[in-house]
Formats: sequence, structure tokens, C-alpha cells
Amino acid sequence: MTFELLTFFFFSAVLVFASAMVITIRNPVKAALFLVLAFFSAACLWVLLEAEFLGIVLILVYVGAVMVLFLFVVMMLDVNLARMREGFGEYLPMGAIVAILMVAEMAIVLGSGEFSLANMPQPAGHPEGYSNTKELGRLIYTVYVYPFEIAALILLVAIVAAIALTLRKRPNTKHQNTAQQIQVKRSDRVRLVKMPSEKKPEN
Amino acid sequence: MNFVAPDISPVIPEIFVLSMACLILVADLYLSDRFRIVSFLLAVGTLLGAAFLTLSDMGAERVYTFSNMFVDDTLSDVLKLAIYALVFVVFVYSRRYTQDRGLFRGEYFVIGLFGTVGMMVMVSASHLLTLYLGLELLALSLYTMVAFQRDSATATEAAMKYFVLGAMASGMLLYGMSMLYGVTGSLEIAVIKARVAELGVDNLILVFGLVFVVVGLAFKLGAVPFHMWVPDVYHGAATSTTLYISTAPKLAGFAILIRLLIGGLEDLSAVWQDMLIILAVLSIGIGNLIAIAQTNIKRMLAYSTIAHMGFLLLGILSATPNGYSSALFYALVYAFMSLGGFGMILMLSRKGFEAENLDDFKGLNQRSPWHAFLMLILMFSMAGIPPTVGFYAKFGVIQSLIDVGLVWLAVVAVLFAVIGAFYYLRIIKLMYFDDPETDAPVQATVDMQVLLSVNAWALILVMPWLGSIIDLCRRAIAGL
Amino acid sequence: MITNMQMVYIATPLSCLIPAIVAGLFGWKIGRAMTHTITIAGVALASLLSLIILNDVYSGGFFNGVVYVWGSSGGFPFEIGFLIDKLSAMMMVVVTLVSLMVHIYTIGYMHDDPGYQRFFSYISLFTFAMLMLVMSNNFLQLFFGWEAVGLVSYLLIGFWYDRETAIFANLKAFLVNRVGDLGFLLGIAAVFMYFGTLDYSAVFATAASKQNITMEIIPGQEWALLTVICILLFIGAMGKSAQVPLHVWLPDSMEGPTPISALIHAATMVTAGIFMVARMSPLFELSETALNVVMVIGSLTALLMALVAIVQNDIKRVVAYSTLSQLGYMTVALGASAYSAAIFHLGTHAFFKALLFLAAGSVIIAMHHEQDMRKMGGLKNWMPWTYITAVVGSLALAGIPPFSGFFSKDAIIEAVHASQLPAAGFAYIAVTAGVFITAFYAFRLLFMTFHGKPRMDEHTLRHVKESPMTVTLPLMLLAIPSLGIGAIYMEPMIFGDFFGNSIFVLPEHNVLELVGQSFEGKTGLSLLGSFIYHALHPGPLWLAVAGIVLAWFLYIERPEIPALIKQRLEWIYNILDKKYGFDEFNQFVFAQGARKVGNQLWQKGEVKVIDGFFVNGSARVVSLVSKVIRHVQSGYVYHYAFAMIIGLFLLLTFFLPVKQ
Repeated sequence: MTFELLTFFFFSAVLVFASAMVITIRNPVKAALFLVLAFFSAACLWVLLEAEFLGIVLILVYVGAVMVLFLFVVMMLDVNLARMREGFGEYLPMGAIVAILMVAEMAIVLGSGEFSLANMPQPAGHPEGYSNTKELGRLIYTVYVYPFEIAALILLVAIVAAIALTLRKRPNTKHQNTAQQIQVKRSDRVRLVKMPSEKKPEN
Repeated sequence: MNFVAPDISPVIPEIFVLSMACLILVADLYLSDRFRIVSFLLAVGTLLGAAFLTLSDMGAERVYTFSNMFVDDTLSDVLKLAIYALVFVVFVYSRRYTQDRGLFRGEYFVIGLFGTVGMMVMVSASHLLTLYLGLELLALSLYTMVAFQRDSATATEAAMKYFVLGAMASGMLLYGMSMLYGVTGSLEIAVIKARVAELGVDNLILVFGLVFVVVGLAFKLGAVPFHMWVPDVYHGAATSTTLYISTAPKLAGFAILIRLLIGGLEDLSAVWQDMLIILAVLSIGIGNLIAIAQTNIKRMLAYSTIAHMGFLLLGILSATPNGYSSALFYALVYAFMSLGGFGMILMLSRKGFEAENLDDFKGLNQRSPWHAFLMLILMFSMAGIPPTVGFYAKFGVIQSLIDVGLVWLAVVAVLFAVIGAFYYLRIIKLMYFDDPETDAPVQATVDMQVLLSVNAWALILVMPWLGSIIDLCRRAIAGL
Repeated sequence: MITNMQMVYIATPLSCLIPAIVAGLFGWKIGRAMTHTITIAGVALASLLSLIILNDVYSGGFFNGVVYVWGSSGGFPFEIGFLIDKLSAMMMVVVTLVSLMVHIYTIGYMHDDPGYQRFFSYISLFTFAMLMLVMSNNFLQLFFGWEAVGLVSYLLIGFWYDRETAIFANLKAFLVNRVGDLGFLLGIAAVFMYFGTLDYSAVFATAASKQNITMEIIPGQEWALLTVICILLFIGAMGKSAQVPLHVWLPDSMEGPTPISALIHAATMVTAGIFMVARMSPLFELSETALNVVMVIGSLTALLMALVAIVQNDIKRVVAYSTLSQLGYMTVALGASAYSAAIFHLGTHAFFKALLFLAAGSVIIAMHHEQDMRKMGGLKNWMPWTYITAVVGSLALAGIPPFSGFFSKDAIIEAVHASQLPAAGFAYIAVTAGVFITAFYAFRLLFMTFHGKPRMDEHTLRHVKESPMTVTLPLMLLAIPSLGIGAIYMEPMIFGDFFGNSIFVLPEHNVLELVGQSFEGKTGLSLLGSFIYHALHPGPLWLAVAGIVLAWFLYIERPEIPALIKQRLEWIYNILDKKYGFDEFNQFVFAQGARKVGNQLWQKGEVKVIDGFFVNGSARVVSLVSKVIRHVQSGYVYHYAFAMIIGLFLLLTFFLPVKQ
């Protein structure tokens, strides 16, 4: 057993464990943290496959941005755990049976040897100084430029949708109009009123 | 590695629609509500322009570009033109409806156009990646459009359901695709086809992936048992959105079904034929049966859609070019019938009133005989009663089934079509033989009146050109 | 590549269709004057173009091709195509010219009718349909034109739809024509089944090779294919051209406005059957059985209907029965393989019968819509133009030289005489007797209407006056061909090679050539002179003269005699007056019988079995099922998701072991 294999088994075990914890643990904050662990293990596996760029991006984007956001949301929302678990027991047996059978089926299919090492020969190693990142960048902007553009468009739609669905103009909110404030003149604010200091007595 | 700049001329319609959508997005910011109509006109004009671009570049030759990820053939041209026409009419139909409900916003048209780009990408996809991305682009636009009526609880709920289930279906589709990739080693549909031919039908992983792919596609089309979202979304969304969802996206869904199952996996037809038989029989049966029990016409039409999708699958599962072209024809006919049907609901709705119950159609003949008659044509066509084009669509599909010896399936289809005729005819009965519950006059903008009349009448008057259209469908399939 | 002539072919029917659509849809908006202007302009243009086409065809023009394919099914194309040869060009000229006259006449005749625009729309539409029928190069388009003219005829017979009798008449016309059309359709279907195409030229080209094919309609009975096809097609012609026993609708069709009787029920539509058989001559020639059937039916019609005309008192009905009888003559000619004589008679008859109808219409206007001849008389003093033109028409009908009817009718009689078919003997007697009867009733009409003492009431008498110019002008214009066309065209059309390839006659059937030869050698005169000279010998001409003299004797000289005859020979009179009882038979057997059968089926079969058990029973089951399973749609998203998973799981479980 080489070191490489050892590392692989280690991170895989962590990944499976963390994933299982994500869906079983009761506390949503802890679940989110386990998800971070799962992502991290997956990133390590990618690095092991010489896909360094993907591994780093996974950590930067998912762990750094998405999960932090996720934690914020989870902690701010008051998630009612008791209500979420309603009916859990009722559906558990049926769900479990289906899940187990399906896993069994998938195991049969995927374990049928189709993807075994015999069928999938080890790819040739990369030459010295090979940059995963550079290669990926080159492909994305040449061969895969079309799907890349579409992916960008999907993000644009997401932005437009998010703004269109959440931005609300409240009629009764008060704003400062800075331009107006700056342009203000003395005459607009101060009014000189002349009046006699004292009224003469009538008589 | 030498990089040759791809030929962008076949993609010009997509680029045009996308650029215009972005332009409208920006321009709309500077428009006050009074001039919102400009966004509408721009959006409508975009579709006309795109139609012009597609028409001017419509050759019989099949052209690949962007490293074989994009294909421009007769099928894509026909479907794109139909999609432009459908979205165009959808925009026109929904103008007054959205204005009355505060939905007449620039984003509505922008998202609608983005969705159109998504459909165009799907229609022209010759690569699993573009196929999937187009699908997601469309799906995201649709989720947004459903949620657009954000103060409506039903609309938000529908959007949430649609989103969650849609994500699940996408996951399944993607998983299936990854299996195909794993076995064939390519994402390019033409290469997959070649590899599948080598591997043969007995490859377990291929079948495994195929099941997932079929499930994902069945969800998008709304075939039983992956149909649950359809009635809820159709019912919950604003009718203008339902109109959009129920028309053009079905054509795009049909396109990816054709591209994947026939373009890539036709050698597995023996396997997917059986799968589609199950889905089709369930769809036609359950769709038609449940539709009968509905009192809400949007829900009723939703179930009718499910049944129609079952018919569509019947055409495909015959696995002959004749069957494919009859399915294509069916899809086109269905899209335009659905356009008219939901258009009618939009027309009868007015400010503060949704004409979505069957009872709202009572006595329509007394209120407006012309519109009642248009609805009559639409319902006849949906039920598949001659001389409407709906009959010929059903006829073609059933004929293709008989050609391949699936007579029992044809009998089942006809049987359920007869059951289905019941609820279409019930609307006609309500319109002509019952007394109206309101005497409010039917009012609609002139452009809508004209388009809706053309829409409905076309289902009969297209008869002299029927041969040419069917011929076009044949050629589209032959050029695959 | 579309040549100029092809443009003309397309423009001809369209110049009738477009005004018809405009007048029909927008007539209420553009007003009466505009309506008749555009429709008349359209038909005038069509006439002009038809003349151009005729001229072109004369100088060798010919066209047979597809203009437009409007659909295809199972590899079979539905085409709109034109076959322009001498036959169709001549028909086009006849149709458009008569139609033009009728259009003009209608301005005066329908002046006060509220349905003015509708009427113009119909007649223009009719002209279009007739042109499509005539110009067709395939059976399908022929059938389209066939049904379209039938439809317009139906609409026009019931034009005054608030009259009970008009509704009855148009329903009758419709039903009787269905019988004929069924035969016609079966004939077309048989053609398609055995020839695999509906294109005339293709069918004709292979017809000879199918001569020996037989088919078994009743088990054990072998029928020659071509005989079956021809007789089926002829059944269609019997319906449209009103041959016994499918003639019953034509007299009743006189319920429609008079211009229609002239246009549709005398000159054009009813001759469609004749035209069709002439067009199909390559098929009919190959079946002597069919030719015999055609000849027998034709001679029966010619004789029987002429007899009925004698006892009619309604002026339009006399002309109507005369039309039936003359159609019989044409049919006889077809049976004798004298197709060009039939078409020639069709042409001359179109003009003089339209003339007679329009003259009758003119009289009817003057008499304030009184049609009974017993209440007329002496009109020649008030209506000189109508009278003169009616005389021309009657002389042509009676077959007196040099009027056109003489030439065409005598040619038919001579052709029948020369024919060798078994039925020719009977037919010869029938058509010869018919000449006498025809002359008699034609002049009976003339004398009763225009001569003698006026028998109308005071009020009507005071108002009798000549009809307006729009009515008399078409009469005069129609009188010209009635007078002259026969002598001019007889030689080229009957004995010459006028129709060229468009009519096919087997050498052993070519009776006209036989007749022509017999004339040429005899005297030193030209063919035409010899033809007239021959007529002076004892023969049909003298019978006609005798008929006229008899009419004069009975209705001018001794008007009391007809009543006496009627009294003495009451049973004959009754038979004729009841028109041999065809109507009663149809009413009793078909109309009532069918109703009884239908009633039984409705009460026993429909109400109890179908409605009670199948329809309502299955509807109840369906709605029950529907109500139960709709609850699956719970509205919970996890139910939906679970349904999807189950679906996926079942598909997986079902399909994976299949491949194991």
C-alpha cells in the first residue's frame, strides 16, 4: 500500500463520514460544518488526482463563500427542528426500503466491472511543469467557449432573477437626497421676516 | 494546440436575442412606467428580428460549429422559428393581463428572452454540456417567471415546488449523462452514437444511465409519474407565465428528447421503447382521467398537457422516422393549441378577476359568440376532432404505432383520447348551453383579439398546407 | 417557369373567386352597385380570358400540368392541376359567357331582393367552381368542382329560405345528388384502387391494358373493371345531369330565382355530367355495356320527360322538363359514342335554354311573379323583345333550321341511327318521337304565353310592360348564338377534328364519321348543305313542323280541344301529371322507410343499449376513478419528490434485470 493509496482511503473515509453526518445530525449549524469538512475532503481527493485547480476552487468558493453564507442564513433563521421531523418516522420504513434497494442496484451496476481498472487504464502522467490551471483556462476559452458563455448567462439570469424577486421599493421609506442637500442655498432654508418688535398700544 | 476561431454565423440568432435581452435590461432601467411599453415592443421586435435571421440562414445543410457543440439543421431551424412565434404571441397575449396585475415589468420580458435563448441552445445542442446548460438556463428563467408574482402565496409556493423538483430532475439527468460519459468517453452526441453502436444493447451501465436520462427528460416534459409539478405550477403561476411554460418549452423539451434518444442513443431504442411505453400509457391514462375531476380550467389544461405529452411519447417510441416526424408535428400542433387555450383564459380575465374556473366559461356564447366559437375550435382541436389539425396530429401518431405493430397501444391511446374528449366537450357545453354567471363584456386589446382569432382559426384553415408542414417535419427528421 | 398562358389559366377561375369572396364577406359594406360591378367585371374578365384560351388552343396551345400541390398523404399528392385542351376551352367559353349574361340579367331581375349581394356572391362562386371542374386534370379536383357546384346549387335553390317549398326543394336536390355522388365517389375510388393515380392522362394511358381485369362485387359474379368504373361514374353523371331516375330534383329546383334556373339548372351545372362522360371517353369507349346503359338511360329521359312537359302549366316547369329531355338527348349521344355531338348540343342548348329561361323570367317579372301559363296570353303586344327572343329560342329548341338546335339535335339523331349498339334501335325511336313532342310543347308554351287573348286579371294587365334593358339585353345577346352558332360550328365540331385528342373514339364506334361520309358523297353540295338537304326528306324535321302545327291548332285555332282531350284520356293525363309517380315512390319508400328504420334503431339501439349501458355506464366508472386518483396530487412537495424517486426506482428495477 503506497502512501498515495493510504491518503486516498483516509480522505474518502472522512468524506463518507462527514456526508453521513450532514444528513443525520440534528443541529443545522453542525450539519453545515460537517458539510465544510466533506467539501474539504473532496478537495483533497481532487488534488490527489492532480486536479489542483479544482481542489482549490472548491475550497475557495464552496467553503469560503457559499458555506459561510449558508451558516449565516441557518443561524439567522429560527429553524423549528421539531416540526421538520414530523412524519419522519411515518415515512422512514418506506423511504429506507427504497433507498437501500436503490443503493443495492447502483452497487450492482457500478460494481459490474465496467469501470474497473482493466477497462479504465491509468492515464499517462503529465510532463514536468504542466499547469493544470493554465490548461483548464486554455480549454475554457477555446474549445469550451460556447458552454462557458452559456454558464455566464445562467449566472446573469440568476442575478437578474434575484434582484427582480427581492428588491422592493417601499413607498414610505425616507431617503436623503444628497444632490439636493448639496445644492441647497441659504435662501431656501432661511427666511427673514420683518416685524415690528412691539405693537403700539391701541390707545 | 492550434485554436481556430469558431464560425459564429450559425449562432447569430442566439447572439442577437441575447444582446437584445441585455439591451432591454439596461434600457428598461431608464424607462418610467409610462414608457414600459417600449420594453415590450423591443422584446417583440427582438423575436421578429431573430426569426428573420434564422430564416435568412435556413439551408438544408447541417452545420456544426463551436467544436461540434452547436448544430444548425432543419430540425433546429423549424423548432426555433416555432419558438419565436410562440414567445411572440405569448408576449402579446399577456400584455394587458400583466399590466392589470403590476407584472408588466422589463424583467418579465428580459427573463422571457433569456428563457428563449435557453430553448435555442437546447434545440441546437449537439453536445451533452450545451444540452444541459441550455436546459438549466431555461429552467432558471421559468422558476423566476413563476415566482414573479411575489405577493401571491400560490405563485411562490408553485415556484418553490418547481425549483426543488426541477433541481432533483436535473440531478438525475446529470447523473445519467455522467454514466454515458463514463461508458463512451465523450460528451459529443455524435461520438456517443458511434460508441453505443460498438458497445451494443447489452451494456449494463448504458441502460443504467439511460434510465436516469429518461427520467430527467420525462420530468421536463411532465410525463407520469414525474408530472406532479405540472398541475401545481400551471395553477399557481400567473396565467401569463403558465402560457409561457406550456408552449415553447415543450418544443425545446421535445428537441432534447430527439437529440438524446434518437441522435445519440437510437441503437438502444429497444430499451427506451419499453420505458416510453410505460410513461406514455401512464401519462395518457392518468392525465385524461384526472382532468375530468378538475373544476379549475388551468389545472384541467395542465392534466390535458400531461396527456398530450403521453401522445408525443407514443410518436417517438415507435422508433421509426415516420413516428419521429409525427411526434414533431404533434409537438408543434400541441404548442399552438395550448397557446390558444391559455390565451383564451387570459382574454376572459380582467382586472381583479381571474377566469380560471370552468364556471367562468358558462354562457360565453351569449356574452361573445365569436370568442365562444374560437374556444370551440380550440377544444375540438385538443380533443382531436376532425377537421381540426389536432385530429391529424393524433392520427399521425397512431398511424405510426400501427405501422410498427403496436396495435394494442394504439387502441389504448384512442380509448383514452375518447375519455379525454369528455372534458373538452364539457367546456363547449358550458359555453353554449348554460347561462352566464356574469354579463361583463369580453374586452381585450385589438392585437390580442386578432392574434387569438388567427391562432384558433389556423387550427382549421391550415388544412391546405398540412401536407407541406408534415413534409417539413419529415425533412427535419431526415436531416437529423 | 410560369408562362403567360399559365398565368391566364390561373387568372380565369380566380377572377371569379375573388369577387365572390369580396361580395360574400363585404357585400353589406360596399353596397349593391359596387357588388354587381365587381362581380360582373370579374366574370367579364373570365370570359375574355376564356376566349383568349380558346383562341390559343385553336392555334395549337395545350397544357396539362400541376399548378399547386396542396397536400399529400401516404405518398399520394393532392394536386390542383389544369388540363387545357379544346374540350375544356370550349366549356370554359360557354360557362363564362352564359354566366356573364346571367350576371347582367340579375341586376334587373333581383333588383328589389334583400339578398342582392349574397346572390351575386353565389353566382360568381358557382362560376369559379364550374371552371375548376372543367379545367381539372385529375379526378380529385373534378370531384371538388363537382361538389362545389352542387353546394352552390343547393344554396341557390334555397335562396329564398323563408319559403317552405324552396327548403324542401333544396333538401331534395341535395339528397338526390348524394345518391349520384356516392356512385361517383365509388367510381373515383375504383379508379384510384386499380390505376394507383387520379391523373387523367395517366389513367387514360393505361386504360386499355386494364380491359381484361375483372372484379368480384357479388361473390361468384365477375364484372369487367372498366364497366364497373364507367357505370359508377355515370351514376354520378345521372345525379348531376338529372337522368331518370335521379331526375326528380331538377323540376323542383325551379323554386330558386330564375337566373339560377338559367345558369345552373339549364346551361352549365347540369351539363357537368355530360362533360364528364365526354372527358372520360377513353374509359367509356372500352366498355360497350356501359355505353348501352348510358344510351338507354338517356333515351328514357329524353322521351319520358318530354311527355311530362306537355301537361305542365307552370312556365318554368315546362322549360325545366324540356331541359331534362334535352339532357337525355345529350346522354344518348354519349351512349352512341358521338361525344362531340353531345358537347355540341350541350353548347347550343346552353345558349337557347338560357335564353328561354331568361325570357320566361322576363315574363314572370312582367306578370308580377305569376308563373301559370293559363293566366297569361297575348303578351307579344306588350313585350316585343321578349317575344322575339323567345321565338328564336323555341325554334332552336324545336330544331328548325337554321337555328342552332336543329344542327346539334339532328346530328345526334343521325348518330344514333348509325350506331351499331344493341340499344340503338330503341334509342332511335325515342329520340325521333322526342322531336315531335319537343316542338309541340315548345310552341304550346309560346302560344299560351304570347298569343291568344290575355287571361290575366285587370290589375296585372294594366301593369304589363316590357322588362328593363338589363333584362332584355342578355336576351338579345343570347339570341345571337341561338340563331347562328349551329350552322357555323357544326362542320368543324361534329365532323371535323375540332376536339382533336381530347375526345377518344374507337374506330368501330365512330358513328359520326359514318354519318359524315354518307353525306359527303351523295350530292354535289357541301357537307353543311347536304345536311340540310337531307333533313328536307321525310324525317325529324317534318316531325318538328308537325309538332308546331299541332300546337298551333290546339292552342290558337281550337283552344277548347285540349280540355276535351284531357277529359277523355284522363288516365294518361294523370300519369303524366304525376310525373310517373317517381316523387311519391321516393317519398314513401326511401323517405318514410328510412325514417321508420331510424326510429327503431334510435329507440331500441341508441337509447337503451348505447346510451344506457355503454355511454352512461362507462362515464360513471371514469368519473369515479378520476375522483379517487386525483387525491394522489396532495400538494406536498415531498410527496411529489417521493413519487419521482419511486418512479425512478421502478424503472431501474424493471429494466436492469432485463439486461442482466
